[in-house]
Amino acid sequence: MSLYAFLGALEQGFVFAIMALGVYITFRVLDFPDLSVDGTFPLGAAVSAILIVKGVNPFITVAIATLAGMIAGGITALLNTKLKILNLLAGILMMIALYSINIRVMGQPTTALLGYDTIFTPFEAFGIEKYILTPILFAIILIIIAVILVWFLHTDIGLAMRATGNNMKMVKAQGVSTNRMILFGVAFSNGLVALSGALVAQSQGSADVNMGIGTIVAGLASVILGEAIIQDRTVFRAVLGVIIGSVLYRIAIAVALSFKIGALQMTPSDLNLMTSVLVTIALIFPGIRKKIGLKI
Amino acid sequence: MINLENIVKIFHKNTINENKAIKGINLNIEKGDFITVIGSNGAGKSTLLNIIAGNLIPDEGKIYIDNKDVTKTPDYERAAFIGQVFQDPLSGTAGNLSIEENLAIAQKRGEKRWFAKGVKSSDRKKFIESLKVLGLGLESRLKDKVGLLSGGQRQALTLLMATLVRPQILLLDEHTAALDPKTAAKIIELTEYFVSHYKLTALMVTHNMKQALSLGNRTIMMHEGQIILDIKSPERDKLTVKDLLEMFSKVRGEDIVDDKMLLN
Ligand SMILES: Nc1ncnc2c1ncn2[C@@H]1O[C@H](COP(=O)(O)OP(=O)(O)O)[C@@H](O)[C@H]1O
Ligand SMILES: [Mg+2]
Repeated sequence: MSLYAFLGALEQGFVFAIMALGVYITFRVLDFPDLSVDGTFPLGAAVSAILIVKGVNPFITVAIATLAGMIAGGITALLNTKLKILNLLAGILMMIALYSINIRVMGQPTTALLGYDTIFTPFEAFGIEKYILTPILFAIILIIIAVILVWFLHTDIGLAMRATGNNMKMVKAQGVSTNRMILFGVAFSNGLVALSGALVAQSQGSADVNMGIGTIVAGLASVILGEAIIQDRTVFRAVLGVIIGSVLYRIAIAVALSFKIGALQMTPSDLNLMTSVLVTIALIFPGIRKKIGLKI
Repeated sequence: MINLENIVKIFHKNTINENKAIKGINLNIEKGDFITVIGSNGAGKSTLLNIIAGNLIPDEGKIYIDNKDVTKTPDYERAAFIGQVFQDPLSGTAGNLSIEENLAIAQKRGEKRWFAKGVKSSDRKKFIESLKVLGLGLESRLKDKVGLLSGGQRQALTLLMATLVRPQILLLDEHTAALDPKTAAKIIELTEYFVSHYKLTALMVTHNMKQALSLGNRTIMMHEGQIILDIKSPERDKLTVKDLLEMFSKVRGEDIVDDKMLLN
């Protein structure tokens, strides 16, 4: 792999790790399998892109995109807790609804950002190449978010949220509204996913209504890869695992795409198949390790 | 202090499976009462405790805690007044969280939770002192995941968590039934200690008649959704296990008579 491709994979690994941390909150912390992310990822992208085109400061558009994701996630949570719709279905409903909403937001299926200022513009003045600048900037944002997340999961409300995903009966008996925890958690999660979407849109120079397809699988792949590699779960190690999982996942994709066996060349459209295979392998990995451990 | 007025609970109301689990119960729990609850399977003991805790909402009747109507108060809000220990030792704690994190959650029962640090170093000192009381060596394992503990250890921890913030009432639903006899005895010993040490009001469901008479100051017997015996010390002191068993077979016998009469 060339340095250029490697940096590209790092850049993707970092920015999608923000999304994967959102998936970690719902799937692992809350035990709420939330599929809204396939809709909130492009929502973040769409909101940020359209606001940039309208002349809003690119940094502020990221904040508003995050907020939009939180609201969408909050609605998913309410569909589940107030209207008693199965969590999986609530997420699917939100995902489908967001497809239409995202087109409404942009007024069209795609928005190009060519020629507009983005969050990268002020840093380009330092004369750093964009392919180096972007991964550095994403890494900084990712670290800030990871630190906030680890801190949050150790606060009173964070403990209650983690317990909610573990034992709702205990949480209620200790005076916590599990509905409130689900609301906060799913909103927080989708805020991160939308934030990730906004950053991706700005770095690739466009938002597209279809850019969310497969988000959940990629996020899950990162979470599971991380778990296969880093075991013994403390919150810190779990968060670190998600980040490492995300980076490895993008490197694996880059490697796979560069392979050519005879006339067979992997294309980006094969990604979803590869991801499914990868998730399957990662899922059985701890089992394999145990087996080998027993033999020795 | 806690008043139940004419409580009725019907499961699967207006269906073919309609089941009147509680049939108009009145119960006045005085401050400091330690009540043991006995009754055959399906008598409605768990349902009664769940109604007090707010896990179930009664179809009729009112519940007052300190003259405050809490009939419609959701369980998590009522938890401010109530400590609960369940039959399943896994139910009262979060296995994925550490011992100190579980205690930190319990320490905030009835308070607002926001962004304060969950486990502060000052908390650790308190937790160590509290855990020592259990006599299980858990005070040196603050950072261990609760999932690593045995059922008995988890139940002891649950008991501690239920009383860490002193509850107005402690609800114990056959909380030793899933444990081996030695562990069960230890948990009973701890229960007695916590109740007397903090002068708690408690309601304890048990299958052990001897225990029912030796623990606490008051015993109620339930049968088919009703309270058929409510006896306090000193009268209770004269009662023997044999008397209780006779009462049991008597109510069961009357069932048979009822059935026979129905058949005729
Ligand atoms: N959640 C429920 N749904 C339907 N029926 C229930 C439920 N809980 C209890 N019951 C029924 O209510 C009656 C009383 O049950 P319960 O309170 O668990 O009895 P006990 O604890 O005295 O053994 C039983 O007939 C039981 O089948
Ligand atoms: Mg029961």
